[in-house]
Amino acid sequence: MGFAKAGQRPAEAGDTAEETAMDLPALIRGLRDPEADMRRRCAKDLVSYPEAVHALAATLDIERVQNVREMVMTTLALIGTPEAVAVLLPCLRSDDAFLRNEAIEVLKQLPNSLAPMMEQLLKDQDPDVRIFAVNVLESLRHPSVVQWLLNVVESDPHVNVVATALDLLSEVGDENCIESLLKAQERFANEPYLQFAVRTALDRIEQSKEST
Amino acid sequence: MAVTETKGITDDDFQKFREFFYRKTGIHFDDSKRYFVDKRLVERMQALKSDSFRAYFTTLRFQTTGEELQQLINVMTVNETYFFREEYHFACMISSMLPEIASKKRPGDTIRIWSIPSSSGEEPYSIAIYLQEYWNDLDKFSVELMASDIDTMILEQAQKGVFSERSVGNIPAHVTNKYFRKDKNGMYHLDPDTRSAVEFSRVNLSDSADTRKFRKCDLIFCRNLLIYFDDVSRRIAAEAFFDALNPGGFICLGHSESMSRISGLFKVRKFPEAIVYQKP
Amino acid sequence: MKRVLIIDDAATVRMYHRGILKQAGYETDEAVNGMEALEKAFDGQFDLYLVDVNMPKMDGYSFLRKLREAVEIRQAPAVMISTEAEEHDETEAYLSGANLYMIKPVRPEQLVQCARLLLGERGR
Repeated sequence: MGFAKAGQRPAEAGDTAEETAMDLPALIRGLRDPEADMRRRCAKDLVSYPEAVHALAATLDIERVQNVREMVMTTLALIGTPEAVAVLLPCLRSDDAFLRNEAIEVLKQLPNSLAPMMEQLLKDQDPDVRIFAVNVLESLRHPSVVQWLLNVVESDPHVNVVATALDLLSEVGDENCIESLLKAQERFANEPYLQFAVRTALDRIEQSKEST
Repeated sequence: MAVTETKGITDDDFQKFREFFYRKTGIHFDDSKRYFVDKRLVERMQALKSDSFRAYFTTLRFQTTGEELQQLINVMTVNETYFFREEYHFACMISSMLPEIASKKRPGDTIRIWSIPSSSGEEPYSIAIYLQEYWNDLDKFSVELMASDIDTMILEQAQKGVFSERSVGNIPAHVTNKYFRKDKNGMYHLDPDTRSAVEFSRVNLSDSADTRKFRKCDLIFCRNLLIYFDDVSRRIAAEAFFDALNPGGFICLGHSESMSRISGLFKVRKFPEAIVYQKP
Repeated sequence: MKRVLIIDDAATVRMYHRGILKQAGYETDEAVNGMEALEKAFDGQFDLYLVDVNMPKMDGYSFLRKLREAVEIRQAPAVMISTEAEEHDETEAYLSGANLYMIKPVRPEQLVQCARLLLGERGR
């Protein structure tokens, strides 16, 4: 025993026998297979079929095995089409914490697909959805990012949403933001957390003014 | 706040950069690393001809190719490879992980260990040496060592098994003498038996056609590779490792890396020597 | 000096809690989700955990349950901090192993008083 020499090893290590490529209908059926490993494999192989996004989304409602759910999410992220984004968005409102948090992680990888709906997301009824939208702005390259953040800072009613926007403004804001920051400071005069966030953003902006 | 500031990098610049870098890579620079960080930031600013930190930072954050971020990660992380680097993982392998793996196997069973990236071979060969030197049960099992890299030239070099003084510097002398022959140019040649214990292959971790050949692994070493990946590629890699491992199999990441930023697929296991991740 | 582990995926919130606790004389460390928190807890010798609920990879409830089951981790009190004000959320927090439940954003004095209470220090 000891080391098996390179080049002299039996060939069982890889995915051999199971690897007959499955077509789209077979893969979609496979999402309901009694074996979790098979369901996971089908979810993985569906990455080549953008038309499968609805079948994948449907699976999320009933799949209970975590590693299969993660794979479905990864596949949707890789497909990354506007349809994929559309099926992921409702997950943001799900009662299922795992779905919510996974959807957030995955959608953050697709900032450009979210840009067209950004204004809508920033006005969503649910403050957690608005926080998510602000978080997506972190990776979004778009001329309106700073303005959107300023809109939130000036008019969002929820302290946690405003604070998230302030966090990002400390990184991307400039002197033109100062007025809006001061307005937020007034609006939430009784919120120590927010006062803290405004002060931090102001400090950072002041400092970067000096280093230019 | 800080005692010395490099020209052009204020305390707040450093904070901004530090938070951003931590968010992207999980690597945290504490205040003592200020000089290290500032120097490299200034280098990158000069390379991009940015006239201020703010201008540089804007490029860094919003560049769609992510090229500058890659460059920055490269200069901020130490890329050296040498034998017995991060040795605590090998100690953990001998004292904690292999005993647990072996307890579920019968004599004569296969134990499969995968090292990726292999780079110029120091890591897989370190494993081979460690197993011969320190694992009493090596004879009871059939151990398959696999090593992969995306770079075919480095794979060729690795297969030759010839190393510099610097590369073997961390190995105790009596071990070096046992496994290497020094030639007249001062280069160290690894003995043929140890070399033949490792099977090398070219693998792109993001390509499932490549990774599906790896299954039923008991132990994976993937150290200081995932830092250089973006979030989606890290996820794909984590999935590939999950599929590659046997249930109960382990994966070791580099000392500043954590699976907690990447995927919830694995369980965290704390051993006396190291924190590693296990497939449930 | 007592050590507190601040667990929250939002940078501003971590910064805020860090500021408050440092000013009150505690040492702090941070984690962005439950899994990272577990890793830090293994070696960290923390005296108090401040745990957010909604985090990716592993949420606050899961972290607490794993913390309470882990024989290798030194047990310490935990404050769960949440945006949810529903009773069932609070119940779940206690069932998972929290000692106290607070709604965010928290006021500095509240946080400090809770920390002092759980650490067995005299109130001001």
